[in-house]
Amino acid sequence: MKHNELTVRFCGVAGDGVVTAGKILAGACASVGLQVMVNDIYSAEIRGSGKGTTTVRFSSEKVRSMGDGIDVLVGMAAKESISEIQDVKKDGYIIYGSSTPKDLKESESLAAHVPPEIHGIGIPLKWLANEASGSNSGRNLVALGVLCYLYDLAENIFINHIRKVFKRKGERITDMNVKAFQLGYQYCEENYPLNSEFEIKKDLPTTQLISGNDAICKGALDCGLKIFAGYPITPATKIMEIAAKELPKINGWMLQVEDEIAAVSAIVGAGFAGKRAMTATSGPGLALMSEMLNMAVMAEVPIVIVDVQRGGPSTGLPTKVEQGDLNIALYGGSGDSPRVVMAPADSEECYSGIQLAFDIAEKYQTPVIFLSDLFLGQRIETADINENINHDRNTRKKPTAEDIKDYERYKITDDGVSPLIVPGETGAFYTITGLEHSFKGNPNYESDMHSIMTEKRFRKFDSMVKDLPPADIIGDEDAEIGIATWGSTLGAILEGMSIARQKGVKSKLIKSIMIHPQHEESFRNFFSTCKKIIVPEMNYQGQYAALLKSRYGIDPIEIHIPAVDPVSPAKIAKKILEANDELVQ
Amino acid sequence: MKHVIIGAGIAGVSAAQTIKNIDRNAEVILIGEERYFPYKRYLLSEFITGAIENEKIFYTSAEFFDENGIKLRKAELVKSINTDEKSIKFFHNEVMAYDKLLIATGGAPALGPVLRPYQKNIQRYYSLKDILLIKRKLASIKDVIVFGEGLSILDLLCSMKNLGKNVTYIVKGDKAEFPTVASEFGMDLHEFLLNKGIHVITNDRVVAIEADEKIYQVLTLNEKNLLADVVFAWDYYKPSIDCITNTKIEKKNGILVDQQLRTSVEDVYAAGDCVEIYHPKIKDYWINFGWPNAAEQGEIVGKNMTGLEVEYEIHETIPFNLMGKALTARWWE
Repeated sequence: MKHNELTVRFCGVAGDGVVTAGKILAGACASVGLQVMVNDIYSAEIRGSGKGTTTVRFSSEKVRSMGDGIDVLVGMAAKESISEIQDVKKDGYIIYGSSTPKDLKESESLAAHVPPEIHGIGIPLKWLANEASGSNSGRNLVALGVLCYLYDLAENIFINHIRKVFKRKGERITDMNVKAFQLGYQYCEENYPLNSEFEIKKDLPTTQLISGNDAICKGALDCGLKIFAGYPITPATKIMEIAAKELPKINGWMLQVEDEIAAVSAIVGAGFAGKRAMTATSGPGLALMSEMLNMAVMAEVPIVIVDVQRGGPSTGLPTKVEQGDLNIALYGGSGDSPRVVMAPADSEECYSGIQLAFDIAEKYQTPVIFLSDLFLGQRIETADINENINHDRNTRKKPTAEDIKDYERYKITDDGVSPLIVPGETGAFYTITGLEHSFKGNPNYESDMHSIMTEKRFRKFDSMVKDLPPADIIGDEDAEIGIATWGSTLGAILEGMSIARQKGVKSKLIKSIMIHPQHEESFRNFFSTCKKIIVPEMNYQGQYAALLKSRYGIDPIEIHIPAVDPVSPAKIAKKILEANDELVQ
Repeated sequence: MKHVIIGAGIAGVSAAQTIKNIDRNAEVILIGEERYFPYKRYLLSEFITGAIENEKIFYTSAEFFDENGIKLRKAELVKSINTDEKSIKFFHNEVMAYDKLLIATGGAPALGPVLRPYQKNIQRYYSLKDILLIKRKLASIKDVIVFGEGLSILDLLCSMKNLGKNVTYIVKGDKAEFPTVASEFGMDLHEFLLNKGIHVITNDRVVAIEADEKIYQVLTLNEKNLLADVVFAWDYYKPSIDCITNTKIEKKNGILVDQQLRTSVEDVYAAGDCVEIYHPKIKDYWINFGWPNAAEQGEIVGKNMTGLEVEYEIHETIPFNLMGKALTARWWE
């Protein structure tokens, strides 16, 4: 049997090496030009030995989502893997350890739960690992060897990649891991010789693997990020870790502060001081930041806040994905408080989008909230990043010599954007506070001034819209079913559309990285050609649907998927087909 | 009542189905060593020649087990039985309790001490896995050497010849003979093989098989040195009863059972090719190989496991279907 796409899940507990196994598999696949997506799911507890899974999907074609179901489950921990069996496709494989030293209860045996339509493959993972390393270490490599044989993947590519991954641990450890891999391969060859074939197109260029968090930080650094302030929080911490490593190399600063209030305060200060500044957090952190966010709105300070969304409310589900922060991003805070909200759909857009976020923040002197999510932030995928590197990028509106003579920080202009100087520049002086202010920035509570300034702050958004590119429209132009999506659900929805198309139902999709403001004309035109509109999103309320309804007066079919796992393409396809049935009737 | 059946051949499947037909609420677990759904082993030769499609050899499916309420555990090996604690242990050390246990592990071709060291150079011809592996290599196979006895050799010889391979058959005696009491071939089987174009070497035996890349070198007792792309060889057919080692279950070549297919240990039954059944006429144990016997025994033992008392009547002849013609054979003379 030939395959051109596979999804493999490693399931285990701390120490089982599921993440490493996924990393090696993904890296080996990328090195031969395959498209890859990796998703880790782990427990929220920092300590302890909670269950974790790493799922790797790879294909010769573009991988847009984690798809539906898995072809192979590698059960590194028997009991914990039982609940994963439900995701294994018919004729898929379950690899389980068959050299458990202690007696195993039927209820805790992975093999006991393998349904007949799935192939259970017992491998003495521990024995073979012991043979290779003298300990239990390396069971994950044994399993990789088995997998490599099962699908006739190139053994040497895996070995090269294993050597690369373990190089820093020294030759002895590297050799042990290679040996463990080879023993798994040989055991499978001897005991399960009937393997399948995975078709790899020849001469594919090596692909680049990157996570959304990596791409956000890289994009920010490449467009002039100088100050990062943050407080660790799952699933955004990785951004801070990269910033800590990379910023000093370009004379930037990474400040780990005491909490999210301090973090946002620090970047407001940095923005005020003329530096491109960013923080990254998740929902609970964004909630804490709302007061200073409002101050940045009032003071018109450019800042970028990345929110890698997780399940909420409150501390919620730290390690599960949800798109539940749209409302707080759009509306959180006091008063009439306009801010830009953006949501990237994949790693490529994380990179280009964060650069756009900085350009908008700087040009329009506004906070930008960049709504990524756990799935997008942590998944690793092959991406074609179009690098745009300029560490001195600056889009701030500079004052003219005339402006400096009698500098007004909040000068009224046609586009609502006032010339901005950095404190300390010769010839001008101003202060900022959270108070309403006069043109020069002095506190002013007159209702007329408040009206003028409020209108000014909102007028910037009207100007901004003119800068925005039209929304992306994908799919069959003549389709009557339209889908509006935001953020990381895009890939699964595109796959769902493709499934529906194979069943003869056309659909089209509109998406924009800009949630607010939006290129409204694109949306109005799109919706006017749709007889049915579907809005899928990963939250309970239908927060994006509510925004679209109020903004465009549409009456969509809403799909609300609260936090758990990434969206299923099959479920999207089902909704499209149902919408089509309603149209036909 | 929890019925555990080791062996998912026709005896095991037939027993499982019978138990569920009688007692719908019974828990029935069927454990098979192969990774496939139970299939018709006697059709493997037709399958290798391409006379039938893949699907035709299977008489069960996931739906079959679902509908019958039988839990099938494929590709699993039972390594031991603890009759005192009424439990079995799998290769992966899972322990499963039973109320009633059926051993229906069948039999398989085995090698004697001379050929055993060359096991890795010998292609098995017994299970679906073997056949699928052969199918994969078929295009590169030109010359075939076969050594062994039994009716399935006929299947193999004719399949390979029908696939256009050069087939050499080595026999120990003066001519190729098979344990048949009656043949509807209308001719001598040795003559039949020669007419078919199979090269038969008599009064000889294989003593060594060496591999040189993908070519196998076969050395015979009479110092013939033959080359082949694949070598099939076996010495005898042996009941597969390793799992009863260190138990009180009595055995000779196979597991000893009475006519109700009960073993010497309470609540443990055995059926199919792995048993020797007490023959009241000859007052000794008797092996009945073959699919029809196994199917019948499976049904009888299934009934007995539910509490009925049904006796198996030994058939002294076994109807076979070989190459489209019926043969009546009696084994173990």
